[in-house]
Amino acid sequence: MKIEELKDLGFEMVSDGDGEIDHGYACDLLSEVMGKAKPDTVWLTVQSHINIIAVAAITGIRAIILCNDHKFDEETIQRAKKEKIALFKTALNTFEACGKIYQKGIR
Amino acid sequence: MESVDDLIRKIQPYFSELSVGDLMSSPVVTVREDQRINEAKELLRTRRISGLPVIDDGGRLKGIISIEDIIHALENNMLNSNVSEIMTKNVVCLTKDEKIMDAFKKFEMYGYGRFPVVDENKNVIGIVTKYDLMIALLAKLSVLYVHDARREQFVGVEIYRSIPKNVKIVREEFEFQIDYKDISMAGTGASELKKFLISKNFPPKFVKRVAIATYEAETNVVIHSNSTGRIKAYIEPEFVEVRVNDNGKGIENIDLAMKEGFSTAPDYVREYGFGAGMGLANMKRCADRMVILSSKGNGVFVEMHFWRHEDEN
Ligand SMILES: Nc1ncnc2c1ncn2[C@@H]1O[C@H](COP(=O)(O)OP(=O)(O)OP(=O)(O)O)[C@@H](O)[C@H]1O
Ligand SMILES: [Mg+2]
Repeated sequence: MKIEELKDLGFEMVSDGDGEIDHGYACDLLSEVMGKAKPDTVWLTVQSHINIIAVAAITGIRAIILCNDHKFDEETIQRAKKEKIALFKTALNTFEACGKIYQKGIR
Repeated sequence: MESVDDLIRKIQPYFSELSVGDLMSSPVVTVREDQRINEAKELLRTRRISGLPVIDDGGRLKGIISIEDIIHALENNMLNSNVSEIMTKNVVCLTKDEKIMDAFKKFEMYGYGRFPVVDENKNVIGIVTKYDLMIALLAKLSVLYVHDARREQFVGVEIYRSIPKNVKIVREEFEFQIDYKDISMAGTGASELKKFLISKNFPPKFVKRVAIATYEAETNVVIHSNSTGRIKAYIEPEFVEVRVNDNGKGIENIDLAMKEGFSTAPDYVREYGFGAGMGLANMKRCADRMVILSSKGNGVFVEMHFWRHEDEN
């Protein structure tokens, strides 16, 4: 799945990124994500702090969707641009957002 | 400073229930009595060990050869002679059921650095070094944790770390200072190391393993240590070693800290998603060998070894 296709699902793009998405993962505990997320993943979380970018960069996560209407810190957005990791936000909760992506065949 | 022997003597009561079989290294790298000294030298060098039991065709112990013996052979131009010419022949051995206390006594009495472990037919089944004893004792005191996937998987396999002769290994280095005061910087060192390894053409899967483990060690320094720290990495074509250390408050009980889900992370960092208590478990899973040394008030020292696996190329 292309990163832009997340827009078609109703997620609001905060900044663009590189690559394609093959997998999805949802969790708010960083070292769980670190241990379990596959490369080329879209990650759904309520964490907006800059540390999520390091986690994404190291695991190969391509896009982050911030759920529950949380806002990204400005420095998070800047770092994401530098690392070319796409950022999205949504008012949906994590469960609802996962459902939408799951329906598109992403596992 | 106390000598190793003093220390060992002091702590030996902790070991009353352990026997040699519990902590010997096995299988053992050995050399045959009719091999040349030069080959023994290469074995010591490539396996990074300091002594080799010498065996006959049937695998029975005939002697032992150490780095000192090799140095003598070098001085006397004997590298092409047979191992049997310079080996020590009357070897003091251990058996696997012998109590560690008795092993301690032998180390003390004979002053050797290593003892082969043999079965009733004199076949070599393991080896115990002073270093093994130290490790076992520190682990027993929960100031040291060792995880070694290599022991099961790699040692004893002939191609394991077989470095071609005469190829000089260039060790490259990476260094990063960890800023513990700025939590937003946590993971920067691991990201830098990742880029460095990619630039050296290590395969992505391998790099990810190294980067995840380094990230976890780095964030632990930032979140828990309350002190500055340093990441150091050495690279060889097939191998990366990463050391992360700090001078902070240290870990009181390493066995407990290793448990998945155990965390002393303060609330304010938990809000950011730290504190699942999964960091050390992730490091253990990613590294082929990991050693953690720490005690309360003395900082934490982590050393991790990564070998390139076949499916990572
Ligand atoms: N460098 C360190 N200095 C002091 N204590 C440490 C250090 N590293 C780890 N610890 C101790 O070990 C515990 C477990 O560490 P681990 O990395 O597994 O989990 P965590 O850091 O608490 O949570 P997570 O890594 O999942 O975010 C920590 O909570 C802390 O008590
Ligand atoms: Mg941790």
